Amino acid sequence: MIPISFSNVSGGYGSLNVVQELSGEVAAGQVLCIVGRNGVGKSTLLKLLLGYLPCRSGVVTICGRKAGSMAPETRRGLGVSYCPQERPVFDDLSVADNLAVMVQDGRLAGYRHFFDLFPVLERRLAQRAGTLSGGEKKLLSFTRGLAEDQPAVVLDEPTEGVQWENIQRMADIINDRKAGGTAFIVVEQNLSFAELIADHYLIMDHGRCVLTGPHTGIGRADIVKHLTV
Amino acid sequence: MDPLIITQILNILFGVTTLAMIALGLAITFGMLGVLNLAHGEFVMMGAFCALVVDRAGAPFLLAVPLALLVCGGVGLVVELLLIRPLYRRPFDTLVATWGLSLLLRKLAEAGFGLGFNSVAVPLAGTTTLFGTDYPTYRLVLIVICIAIIAALFAWYGTSRAGLKIKAMVGNPDLARALGMPVKRLATTTFVVGSCLAGLAGVMVAPLVPVHPYLGLDYVIKSFFVLVVGGLGSVLGVVAGTGVIGGLDSVMSALFGSTQAYFTVLVVAILFLWLKPRGLFAHG
Repeated sequence: MIPISFSNVSGGYGSLNVVQELSGEVAAGQVLCIVGRNGVGKSTLLKLLLGYLPCRSGVVTICGRKAGSMAPETRRGLGVSYCPQERPVFDDLSVADNLAVMVQDGRLAGYRHFFDLFPVLERRLAQRAGTLSGGEKKLLSFTRGLAEDQPAVVLDEPTEGVQWENIQRMADIINDRKAGGTAFIVVEQNLSFAELIADHYLIMDHGRCVLTGPHTGIGRADIVKHLTV
Repeated sequence: MDPLIITQILNILFGVTTLAMIALGLAITFGMLGVLNLAHGEFVMMGAFCALVVDRAGAPFLLAVPLALLVCGGVGLVVELLLIRPLYRRPFDTLVATWGLSLLLRKLAEAGFGLGFNSVAVPLAGTTTLFGTDYPTYRLVLIVICIAIIAALFAWYGTSRAGLKIKAMVGNPDLARALGMPVKRLATTTFVVGSCLAGLAGVMVAPLVPVHPYLGLDYVIKSFFVLVVGGLGSVLGVVAGTGVIGGLDSVMSALFGSTQAYFTVLVVAILFLWLKPRGLFAHG
């Protein structure tokens, strides 16, 4: 079963179609990296996939079910976790509450592995998440999303502001989870990070796909060409 | 101490705690859902009419409590689903819609019960001697019950997991949905809780005021002043706002009469809007 697939998806804000007829899919144990300049519709595509914006046309399928007009909270129930680019954490809650809010018994035992890799999070458990740096918020969001342990994970610019050594650890975690069968869709500006994890690329410009294919067939030069034009 | 002063202090306490009950419901729906419910006073009115119905039927006064919760909670549920839900994030439209709702509810009460003033027999008639002064027992009980309800709500919000989820939902609804929180259900619950609080307050004040279709207006206006003075979206704001508005109202009523008290409250509210528009304890 394909964790996430979308075909001929169009949509956007108001009467404007930011995303136009995009298609793609990600198989279990694969990473689809969506790359493109600022403002070409990458985050909008994710919002269409996750139900924050209605699709004007096209079909989104999550874990074998057609998403149709399902609300974001329902789509999560189908098996997809989401770490948004903007406002990635609950600023008013402590770091611990951010992690515990949807855990059944409210305990943080399930996060041990992440605390070992990102000790900064454990040090700041009692701190209000709004006081974290941008990169720390991203780590917190990444940790929360990955720990949900769902078959599909959607990450929107997960490495923005994160230190390189932690970026490498994020890549290690993603590659571990790929081996376990998790599918990822990752919007990323950082090509060095994308190269560590990507199986497929979807390169966007003006809301359309300009290049797509396996990472073996697409070199850095091809991507950079579309990023700089 | 002069028994008269003690009586006045208790009057102030009574005025503040009952106003806090009503303002709290309004603050919950506004602070958490961003819905300024102009019909909030009409839920107080419906609660009072529940007490009237129970009183006329000759049933025990306490039966008014479940009846009011049922009626106000039920109406609140229907209103949230049909009227409020399609209008979230459209504050002006919500304002107009709830204003229309308040007219409708008032006219319905008028059609059912007429415009006349009705009275509800005071349960726990009689007085209790406290610090050398005789004070109506029912009012004393109300003060205690109001404080208990408000304290319980704050404690629940501050410590429970449901409270944590509500805080998350209010602060960042999109992320809450990404985590699978049933935000629509939580919003409905929140609105129903606010409606029930208003209904409960209506039952409480019914034996002490003339019960009529326009009963809620006065309360809802004062509750808005509370939010103006206290600031929006914070628990402390509601407490501070009721302290200022309810306290001023009671003190000025005792010293000069209710018209002068109303005038003072209005002036203070206007001064706050003018000089400190975000109130004493605005959130964020």
